[in-house]
Amino acid sequence: MGRADVVFTFARYEIRRAVARRKVLIIIAITVLLDILPYAALSTRQSVIRALEPGVLQYIWIIGVLAIQPLFLNFTAILIAAGAMSEEYEQGTAELLLSKPVKRGDYFLGKFLGGFMLFLGILLVSITLNVASAYAAFGTQYGLSILPRFFFIQAFSSLLFFSLAFMLGELMRRSSLAYIFSSLIFFASIVINIYMEFVYTLTGDAFYNTVRYYLPTSPADSFPVQYAMQNLHGTTALRIIAELLGETGSVEPSIVYSIVLILIYAVAGIAIAASYFSYADISKKVT
Amino acid sequence: MQSGVVQGIDSPSIPGHKSVIAFNEAVKDYGRKRIGPVDLKIQKGEVLGFLGPNGSGKTTCIRMLLGLLRTSSGTVRIRDLDPVSKHAQALRNVAYSPELPNLQTFLTPREILQLVTHELSLKGSSGEKGDEIKRVLEIAGLLEYADTKVGKLSKGMVQRLSVAQALLGTPEILVLDEPMIGLDPAGVAHFREVFRRFVSEGGGTVFMSSHIMSEVESLCTSVAIIHNGKILFRGPVDKVIRDALDYSIIVLEAEGITSEVLEKMNSIPSVTEVTTVGNAFEIKVQGSNSDEVRASIAGLIIRMGGKLYTIKRADNLLERAYIEALKRDDHFSGATPRQIPGTG
Repeated sequence: MGRADVVFTFARYEIRRAVARRKVLIIIAITVLLDILPYAALSTRQSVIRALEPGVLQYIWIIGVLAIQPLFLNFTAILIAAGAMSEEYEQGTAELLLSKPVKRGDYFLGKFLGGFMLFLGILLVSITLNVASAYAAFGTQYGLSILPRFFFIQAFSSLLFFSLAFMLGELMRRSSLAYIFSSLIFFASIVINIYMEFVYTLTGDAFYNTVRYYLPTSPADSFPVQYAMQNLHGTTALRIIAELLGETGSVEPSIVYSIVLILIYAVAGIAIAASYFSYADISKKVT
Repeated sequence: MQSGVVQGIDSPSIPGHKSVIAFNEAVKDYGRKRIGPVDLKIQKGEVLGFLGPNGSGKTTCIRMLLGLLRTSSGTVRIRDLDPVSKHAQALRNVAYSPELPNLQTFLTPREILQLVTHELSLKGSSGEKGDEIKRVLEIAGLLEYADTKVGKLSKGMVQRLSVAQALLGTPEILVLDEPMIGLDPAGVAHFREVFRRFVSEGGGTVFMSSHIMSEVESLCTSVAIIHNGKILFRGPVDKVIRDALDYSIIVLEAEGITSEVLEKMNSIPSVTEVTTVGNAFEIKVQGSNSDEVRASIAGLIIRMGGKLYTIKRADNLLERAYIEALKRDDHFSGATPRQIPGTG
């Protein structure tokens, strides 16, 4: 068995470990509700449906898929990643795993990949349920050919908060603190963004708008929307959806900006966590 | 020399045997507390009992040995390899059973063993790996519970599983941190035999921390006593006892021990104290001539018309030596004399 097998063993172990925690089951339950209930509720409101532009309902899955990114996907990434390392210290299980002749890097990589694979699984379930619900509620859906790319774009965008939360879990080695600080960054970023947008609107000073670019929620939320706007054009329905998404979701000036910022945040998070993990002592049991 | 305490004895030299574990002036500085410098060498085939009170530094030493903690100064080596920078190479064929193991409660014993099998990159077909897992489950007496979640197992069973995972593959060095905690007497006897066979049949080395002196005395070929982060004694069990204790204890069970017999016993040269312990007597003998004193006492009782049932050297001398060593170290270091639970 090579190192890849050992990494894969830890990845599988991490998935198993995370699934055994109740919070993942709760996330899955919320995913199901979020992806079914809005469509079911909307389908009963005939007055709203009649008011929509013709054709919008055939592309409504796009709104459902993108709507989950700003809050649900980022927060799910935090919930999975913040506990990946820290919970092992708290439970004292890291000690036994790392007393074996394995490279710390393999353990680290396995935990990261395992957690992220679990996240991808939840994302896949979410997107599938969204589209299925849209189909069940409003009939045949169009534009599904971009769905696979959407999946990877949303996964990539979520990598930002996943890496930050993973880093905080390793640095703090206490899951509660890691959850609190990751969430704090997340919500603070949302709130600061709103304030900066408000001040920018009032003053017209570009500085306030520039600040918004560098907040972690901005690239994570912008990238999927920017992609949607670039690829959804041609019909009135799609134009309406694109405008709606563009007005509410996109902060970054370009896709390149979004990609670079996501990469900077994610790589920095992973690098800091890896450096600390490779140097720091392995705690016995953090209580 | 440190504080007038009998100093650590060098690692006993066994011709042809190399040190497989070496602590060289290893120090771990926690800021408020400092463990070390620890100088300790363990040779192949040795079964070392690592003794010390709570907080003395046993677990820290074990964790430095496993590369989980970095030394603040000095070095720790396993077969000349640094367990931190060369973790995977150094820890190959080293197995560890932690104190009060925190095993994954959501897995079954079989799954934990499978996980460790993968971690160890054990070679062989899945059938051969399955056989290996079955072998250690049998050794640990856990075959019946192989597919029960760890969270539902008793403390003793979890301890058995902890030892079982350490026996997977072909370890050459067993590092055991309080391996007998939580085990029933049958389990203790069983694992004592398992460890004995590990050494006698496999030529392995055991580094075992324990608070159960009788266990250490019966299983270990040598001991090291650590106190306040420093090794006080190190050597074969007999030698440590001799060096730590300048007296021996004779246990006597007899009838017809009158005050006159007691008086005569007390007047035997080297006898410094005779105390009653239940139905028996403990006779403290200064120096190392307890055999002669034993013969004198036996002769005295028979001459005085008493009935002699048992007269032997006390078999818990390691415990006494250990307590004596700690008291002496506390005395010389100016610490408040300790009250060791259960020792009065």
